[in-house]
Amino acid sequence: MAIDHVSSGRKVGRYILLALMAAVVLFPIYVMVIASLKPGNKAFVHPLLPGDFTFSTLREAWNSGSLGRALWVSTIVSVIVTLAEVITAILAAYAFVFLKFPGQKIIFAIFLATLLVPLEATLTVNRRTMQSLGWLNSYKALTLPFLATAFGIFMIRQVFLTIPKEMREAASMDGLGHIGFMYEVAVPLSRPTIGALALFSFLTSWNQYLWPNLVTTNAKYNTVQTGLKALRFASLDKPNLVIAGTVIVALPIFVVLIAFQRQLVRGLTAGAVKG
Amino acid sequence: MKKRRWRDAGLAAVLIGPSAAVLGLFVIYPLLKAVWLGRERCSNAKCSTNGWHQYVDAFRSNEFQDALVVTLKYALITVPIGLVLGIGLAVLADKYIRGVGIFRTIFSSTVATSVAVASVMWFFLFNPNIGVLAHYLGGVFKSPGLLQDSHTALWAVSASSIWANLGFTFIVVTAGLQSVPKDLYESAYVDGATGFGRFTNVTLPMISPTLLFATVVLTTRAFQSFGEIDILTAGGPAPTNPTTTLTYLAYGKGLPTSGDDGLRSTVSVLLFFVLLVLALVQFRGLDKRVHYGN
Amino acid sequence: MTMLDRTGRDRHGRDRHRLALSLLVIGGVLVASSCRSGKSLSSAGYPNRTKPATTTTVAATAPPAITLAPGVTLAPGDTLPVATTSTVAPTDPPTTLPRPLDSLPKCNTSVLDTASASGPVNITFWHGLANELGTELQTLTDQYNASQNKVHVNLEFQGGYDQTIDKYLQSNQDNRPDMVQMPEYMVQQMIDTKSTVPTQACAESDSYDLSKFIPQTLRAYASQSVQWSMPFNVSLPVLFYLKPRFVAAGLDPDNPPQTLDELLAACKQIVASKASAKSISLDSDFDGGGGWFIEQWLAKAGEFYADNQNGRAAPATKVLYDGAAGVQLLTFLKSLVTDGGAAYVGDNASGTDTLLKLADKDAPAAMTIATSASLGPVLAFVKGGIIPGITADQVGVSYMPGPGGGLGGLVGGASLYIVNKGDAKAAAAWDYMKFLDSAQSQSTWAAATGYVPVRTDALDLDPIKTVYVSDPRFKVPYDQLLGSKDAPTSEGPVIGPLLQVRKVTAAAVATVLQGGDPQAALTSAAQQADDLISNYAAQNGG
Repeated sequence: MAIDHVSSGRKVGRYILLALMAAVVLFPIYVMVIASLKPGNKAFVHPLLPGDFTFSTLREAWNSGSLGRALWVSTIVSVIVTLAEVITAILAAYAFVFLKFPGQKIIFAIFLATLLVPLEATLTVNRRTMQSLGWLNSYKALTLPFLATAFGIFMIRQVFLTIPKEMREAASMDGLGHIGFMYEVAVPLSRPTIGALALFSFLTSWNQYLWPNLVTTNAKYNTVQTGLKALRFASLDKPNLVIAGTVIVALPIFVVLIAFQRQLVRGLTAGAVKG
Repeated sequence: MKKRRWRDAGLAAVLIGPSAAVLGLFVIYPLLKAVWLGRERCSNAKCSTNGWHQYVDAFRSNEFQDALVVTLKYALITVPIGLVLGIGLAVLADKYIRGVGIFRTIFSSTVATSVAVASVMWFFLFNPNIGVLAHYLGGVFKSPGLLQDSHTALWAVSASSIWANLGFTFIVVTAGLQSVPKDLYESAYVDGATGFGRFTNVTLPMISPTLLFATVVLTTRAFQSFGEIDILTAGGPAPTNPTTTLTYLAYGKGLPTSGDDGLRSTVSVLLFFVLLVLALVQFRGLDKRVHYGN
Repeated sequence: MTMLDRTGRDRHGRDRHRLALSLLVIGGVLVASSCRSGKSLSSAGYPNRTKPATTTTVAATAPPAITLAPGVTLAPGDTLPVATTSTVAPTDPPTTLPRPLDSLPKCNTSVLDTASASGPVNITFWHGLANELGTELQTLTDQYNASQNKVHVNLEFQGGYDQTIDKYLQSNQDNRPDMVQMPEYMVQQMIDTKSTVPTQACAESDSYDLSKFIPQTLRAYASQSVQWSMPFNVSLPVLFYLKPRFVAAGLDPDNPPQTLDELLAACKQIVASKASAKSISLDSDFDGGGGWFIEQWLAKAGEFYADNQNGRAAPATKVLYDGAAGVQLLTFLKSLVTDGGAAYVGDNASGTDTLLKLADKDAPAAMTIATSASLGPVLAFVKGGIIPGITADQVGVSYMPGPGGGLGGLVGGASLYIVNKGDAKAAAAWDYMKFLDSAQSQSTWAAATGYVPVRTDALDLDPIKTVYVSDPRFKVPYDQLLGSKDAPTSEGPVIGPLLQVRKVTAAAVATVLQGGDPQAALTSAAQQADDLISNYAAQNGG
């Protein structure tokens, strides 16, 4: 960045601004972490200062929300959904970009249109479907509706479109079939976008709230978000129980985020953004 | 050419099949079914069909009209403010200075919070009696409280939602900024453009596809918000219910839609049509951009 | 970079285009808004009916109410609880006439022995009790499971009452549990799901002795001569007040106000003496000050909330709270705010705002009205030092002041329903229910939670026996309930859409507490409530 000849004075100013904004963004998180480390009836006595340090609130939240089990369920569900969503998106996107078939445009338009359907408009009927299939309280109910999304197909299609058609033709002359080309050329070239899609679908799946709640009645299938509900009606003397729960629930995602941040930004650069 | 189209059809069916099955069964079928259900009223699992005019009745009802206005207001608050903040932070953290990585992590950290998590946090921040804001700032935070005052409730819910979406917007805009070729800045610099001039003449046009993408996602989220309303205000404060959005009207508790799958469908399908109209507006812009890769 | 092409003129042209479209949309919305019908969403789809008030004459033709839970009369050889004797319908049961119970699902409790011969009958129980309440219920259930080998109970917490209701109503019978806990406002709707076995059927089959139950707790869940469910966790709204602030105001901390006039006078004295910036904190929660309390106050005044004896003689067709008593009540509440220095805290959606107002560091209140179920948590909270200078011992608890005094009130909380899933499951659920409602369980449960025991003989047993002596504050809701007038108005409303009705009522209370006109607000609320009731009736076949 040769052009950024930032003077040291402006540099300091920028740091101050950055720090200020960071403080604003982090403030709610800080308050929650502090509150989760206090006993219930002291949580809000001096809300900004640490004190009366204890892990008991976190422990109680962990236990009464059965968050250990819920973390496990959430992980399974999110991993299944992420893998499936990425795979179905790659397959469908490949067909839309590199194949020519009748009804192509119409099918793609219909797929794209499903982006507009609010989740809420489908919830009632989808629950009935699950009920009539006898799949309430199962991983099937938690994952099936999300194994393919128009968003994912659209995102991968955008990056596939940037692969020159000549490459496909050259590969074809070398005797590489569609599956071979997809696996050996198209996917490796799109890796950052695929990574970004994976991360987004993982986050989305992890944060699902309405649906898991609707199709589970048995705590065995509580995800972390539905596990939180057990803490939501915290009584007056333990207002921070639910806060401790949110801290526990957000923590794994935080770690995932830090680990994959570079990939996330790079993937978006390469993919959806140009779309 | 014709022949080739059919030759690929078999493979295409296999590749598209899984997606088509899922989207068909869990998005398209339920939507069509909901359109059908929307003519019915149900109670205790007994439904009776009233006819298509139920859509008209629902659309014209006080509750729907109020909720429509609330939803539009909510989108008009959260989307522009969220975008501006996201752009501001991204630009601020785009310069290559030491330690900027830490700030990037901090600014994108709110994507780690779900709607439920973020709403719980803000519920406690806003609490008029024990909340941190009331504790140190007092004033309107205190009496009656931002979430309790019908004039501020929607703004308070918006604040929570803007904060929760900030990480997403920041990441997307940062990615957009990084895709801007640096030589463009270089030439603008040579042309003597000021920092602000470079921003408006180079940066903004270059990241406009990104912004459109972010706008679409944020608008969709605004129109489908449920969790934050449910946790922060439950649609209140009564009696004006300034935070009852369309989604909350369909799924909130103690409302005419409660326990009535028919009326819920009516409202949800109407919400879909509102989104459809909105999307037509937004996608016109997006559409122009999506094909350039060919 | 192809994007460069899109700068300049082209871009502006497109922007203009988009602007035009946006304007079109906004214009469309404005046009759409102008065709606002002025009707409620709850009537969407239905043809315009004549006002229910003019079409229904059920009240006039309804048979006289049988105000006693029939289960009570059936216990062989038992004397009836004192409070109910005077209202008992003719003592000889009308055996020759078909009873409503006869057309309902039967219960045969004797099948449990054969059904459990090869192993315990597994039953699933959905409940809505979170946190310590849920933990305590789990403890009781573990005890039950360990104590016998005929029945094994699986507790399934559904995330609160509202979610229990949602899931129960959405599920088909196969996906419903064998037993479910439902809050007091669900009586009529549970009847209309036609999905349960009335507990009376099991009580009769088992010749179960109901004589030790507090009659009010049974009658709350009886309607149209059938006992539908068994009470379990009973709570009532009570007055919480901070004694030091009473002393500072020159009020007697051991004689808190009991009538509404006394309440207003005390409020005035508190703010005039500056003992506390605010006198009492009020809310408009549908499950609190906006709905449940209104039902309580009308009952205390000896007034009906809805017609047909609160819907217990025959299905209610309209609400009555827009009459003189209701208007008087809301006018009084309004005066508490305008003249009495009361603090209105809003919808109180979390259920804690009124109580937290006592801990407000700038403008605290000296009193509030809240459910007795929060007594334990409040004391624990105060113990943490959240209110400077106030110890847990200085928190006073007294009867909820009302028209004509503090005694009396309606049963709140929740009850237990047996879901109709076959004789064996019903018999198993009944056995577990008997355990939960046993004197010992109720004593343990009440002491651990602050709920009112559902039976009088629980008071003879520890731990509640000791608790009531060592801390009489816990006994306040019990005495308040037992002090209810012996009248049909002492049984709360059973209305199909009671939750929605409470919600519109709460909106009226919110309006009034923010300065609105009581009569206008109540008239409008009553009209909406009547629509809800008649729509519900039409949907459920009258």
